[in-house]
Parts: sequence; C-alpha cells; structure tokens
Amino acid sequence: MVASRDDFIIAIRSAFLKKSTQQKFSLITLLLISVFTILLSNLDFKIIRYIKIGINEIVYRSSFVVSIPENFAKNTFYEISDYTSFFKDYKKNKKELNNLRSENVSSDIIQFENKELKELINEYVSSSDKILAKIIVDQNSPFLKSIIINKGSRDNIKIGTNIFDQSYLVGRVIEVNYKTARVLLLSDLNSNVPVSIAPQNIQAIITGSGDNNSQIKYIKDSMKNEFNEKSIAYTSGTGGIFKSGIPVGKVKIIKEDNSKKFNIEFYSDFSQLKYVFAEVITKTEIQEINSETSQNENKTINPLQAKLKILEEEIEIIEDTNSKYKQENETLKTDQNKLAAKIIDLENKVNSQKKEIEQNNQDAEELEFLKLNLYYAHKCRRSFFNSKGFTVGSDEYRKCVMNKGRKN
Amino acid sequence: MVSFKTKGPFFKFYSWLPIIILTISVLNEFDFNYLNLKYFSFNFPFILIFFFTLKDFKHFDYFFVFLAGLINDTVVGLPLGISSLSYILICITTSYYRNITIRPNTIKDWFYFLFILSLVNSINYSILTLFFSFNLILMNYLVNTFFTFLFYIIFASIFKYYLKGLND
Repeated sequence: MVASRDDFIIAIRSAFLKKSTQQKFSLITLLLISVFTILLSNLDFKIIRYIKIGINEIVYRSSFVVSIPENFAKNTFYEISDYTSFFKDYKKNKKELNNLRSENVSSDIIQFENKELKELINEYVSSSDKILAKIIVDQNSPFLKSIIINKGSRDNIKIGTNIFDQSYLVGRVIEVNYKTARVLLLSDLNSNVPVSIAPQNIQAIITGSGDNNSQIKYIKDSMKNEFNEKSIAYTSGTGGIFKSGIPVGKVKIIKEDNSKKFNIEFYSDFSQLKYVFAEVITKTEIQEINSETSQNENKTINPLQAKLKILEEEIEIIEDTNSKYKQENETLKTDQNKLAAKIIDLENKVNSQKKEIEQNNQDAEELEFLKLNLYYAHKCRRSFFNSKGFTVGSDEYRKCVMNKGRKN
Repeated sequence: MVSFKTKGPFFKFYSWLPIIILTISVLNEFDFNYLNLKYFSFNFPFILIFFFTLKDFKHFDYFFVFLAGLINDTVVGLPLGISSLSYILICITTSYYRNITIRPNTIKDWFYFLFILSLVNSINYSILTLFFSFNLILMNYLVNTFFTFLFYIIFASIFKYYLKGLND
C-alpha cells in the first residue's frame, strides 16, 4: 500500500517537475504561467493592452500568411461552384436590379427626410464613411463566430463599429488593434441585437444561434401570432450599439411539436464573406455647425433663422418629391392615353365583327328560305289551282314557305 | 520511408516537424470547419500534443506547446492563456500516464486519450462559462471530443510512421 502510494507520488512529481535535457521549462512552471496569463489578460492595464495588441497584430498576420494555401483551395472551390450557377444568377440579379431601381427613388426621399428629422431630435449630426476592409482570418469555428479584418485604430475603427456586407449588417467590432480588428458576427451565441420587425413594428432582441441564423427572443407571447414569413428584421437602434434601420434578415417560422420557434435568416452568408464595410461615424455637434455658419453669416444666428433654414430645406424636399411625382404622373398619363387608343381600336374591331356576324345570320336565313322555296313554292304561290295562296315576294308568302307550306 | 544518413539541415527540419505542424495548425485552425458540416469538428493540436508527449519525443518542447496555446487563443478569440492551460494539462496528464505505464498499448492509450479529452474540455468549458460568461453550446464540445477521439487512431498511425523514419 505504502509502495503504491510512493509510486503514485513519484509519477506525479516526475510529470510535474522533471525536466529532460531538451526542455527549457518544467510543466508546473508552464502551468503556473498559463494561469498567470489568464489572470493578467483580464486586467485592463495599459501595458497589458499594448502587449495584447502586439501579439494580435503578429499572430493575425502570420495566420493570414499560413492560411494562404488553404484559402486558395477554398476560393477555387467556391469560384467553380459560382461559375456553374452564373447564368441563373445573372437572370435573377437582372430582375432584382429592376425592382431595386424602382424602390430606390422612394428610398432616397426617405433617407433625406430621416436625416432632417434626426437633426431635429439629436444634439449632433452624424456623418458616416464606409471603408472597405478585407477579411484576413475567418476560422469559422463552431465555438466562436468571429472574423479578423485588416482595418484597425489607424483607420478610426472603434469598439462597436458596425460592419456591413453590402448594406446588410453582419456584426460589430469587439477588439481593436492598430492595423486589425476582431468582428463578432451576428450568428455568435454572445451576440444580441435589438431589432424592429416590419411591417408589424414589433420590438425584439435577436441572439445568435451558432449557425448562420439567429433566434428572436424577449417578445410577448401574444405578439408571436402576428409574425409571418414575409416579416423582415432591421435594427431598431435601441441601446445605441447599432445604427437604426439596417436590414438584418427575414423571419423564418419553425414549427416544433406544439410550439413555434422564430428564427432570423440573415441576408448575408457569413461563411462566404471576403470583404466587408466598416462604418466609421464622426459626430459633429449641431451647435458648432451653427456657430460656424453664423460666423460666415454676419456672426449672428437665432433659433428663428435655424428654423427657417430647416423649413427651406423641407420645402426643397417637398419640391423634389413633387417633381418626382409629376414625372410619375406624366408617365402614367402617357400610358393612359396609349391604353385609351387601344380600347377604341378594340371597340372598332368588335363592331365590325358584330356586323359580319349579323350579315352571316341574314345570309343563312336567306339560304334556308331559298332551299324551302324549291320544295314548298307550289303550296304557297297563288295560282289558278291554289286560290288561297299568296303573291310571290310578299311577307305572307315568305312566312308560308318558312312554315313549310302551312298557311297558319 | 524517409531515412537519414547525415544529420544535416533537412534532418533538423524533419525532427522539429511536430512543433512546426503544431504552430501551423493553430495558426490555420486545421479542422475542416469551412466544410460547414453540421456538428463536425475535431481538435488536431490535442492529438499531436498527446501523441508526442506520450512518446517523450525530445524535440517536442513544452515551451513551444505553451506558445502554440497563446497563438490559438489569439486566433480563435479566447481569453489569453486558456488554450495554453489546456495544452499543458494534456502534457501533465500524459506525462503521468507515461510514467505509470510499464507495457504501452495503443488501445489503452486511445481510451486514456478520451479520458484526458473529456477532462480538459470540461475544464475549458467550465472556465469559459463560469469565469468569462461565454455562451457556448455543450453539444459542440461533446461532438468535438468524440471526433478528436475517433481521429486519434488515424493520426497516431501516421505519427508512428514519422517516428519510424527518424529512428532509422
């Protein structure tokens, strides 16, 4: 018993402390360093932050270089599959483009109005710049859904910066280095986004599921029946982390036994991302703008003038809208005229066809009369032997022939 | 099979190959995740570390294993030191197992590896959820453990082949 305990202790001691000639550190030392590193990495000291940024920069770049062959193979595979569906996609895109063009007109107006209203309720005007960023590391890990982009604090990227694929939201920045940044994707389990669901206008929070979708959470049970598969989710802007009005995805209802689950299918496929847009927002105080403007305009400004300016701009919007409506009206009028001409043309056609039909009917009747006349003329014609007959050509004669010789 | 007559630079490269592969695998996350197979994932560094610690391979420096852990944490986005702790724990438990084993057996090693995997992944999961409030899916861990366990036997035979080449 004592011997086996001794063996156990010797084995443990050997495992922890023994350092063979090639090893620089014993395992117990490395274990303690690991624990120490975990504790240190959680402390928000300036020096630790800089060390972390340094490590991140080197590792991300190295990871990008090491991943080149694998990425090449992966991209080749995707490109081949893209080519196979090229024509189909082209047709679909063409159709979509036409639809989008028509929607773009009203979108412009709304955006303009939106900006004006924001200026009225906020203390600042936010102007945003979308910068293109390349994804340098995308591990597609089943545990954590995040990507590394090649833009960092040098490019004004900050923690919380919204990241887009085209105009769709894909995530936000959670870690910023000098030349790189880590983006937490919306599909990650730790990602929560406040959204509005249109057209029902229901406020909810969506949480990533770990796959390429997310789940709708924190909504009233009574509201669940209002959802349908046509509902779309866009950011509500609640909490100020995400900008409002960014499209996120479509609602998908999943039926499970007696209950329903509501998922959001993202517009963007996160596994196919190569480039993304980072929205760098610069906020400018309205008062400053006003004061700057005032310096140019005799250095005096009062609320009345500001209001007047806003009203002028409002008039501009209305005029712009009106001209667009006018244009639309004119197009509609031309269409209407064309349709009216078409209707007249068709009416004429119908009338001539009616006449033809009538003529045909008359001809058929005449033909029938002539046919019967051959057989029954002697019964209806007045003659020496038939004093009760009728004069040929009279209505009575015709009636008699059509009645096959019967006079009454 | 590879055999070396002189201990030149190629021999040196060959003998340091496990550490090089470990570094590349943590940088590149060699795990076929991009195939998007649902639930499929495995942990290649765990297999590599377990095998070479078990064989007490002299060029398999624990310090580099520790560094590989740091790289892995940076790439995946985990708190710094978590993977290093996991890797060092594997080294410790494997080293202990090696010390108490008189007659090595591949099947025994294989099942001991399953035990180590479960232990290390449990510690990893507990630390991340309890101390760092991460939301993680337990099923992913279980599936990862299972596939890592399955793949061990395949990679072990490849690594044995590698060692054979070195001994020649």
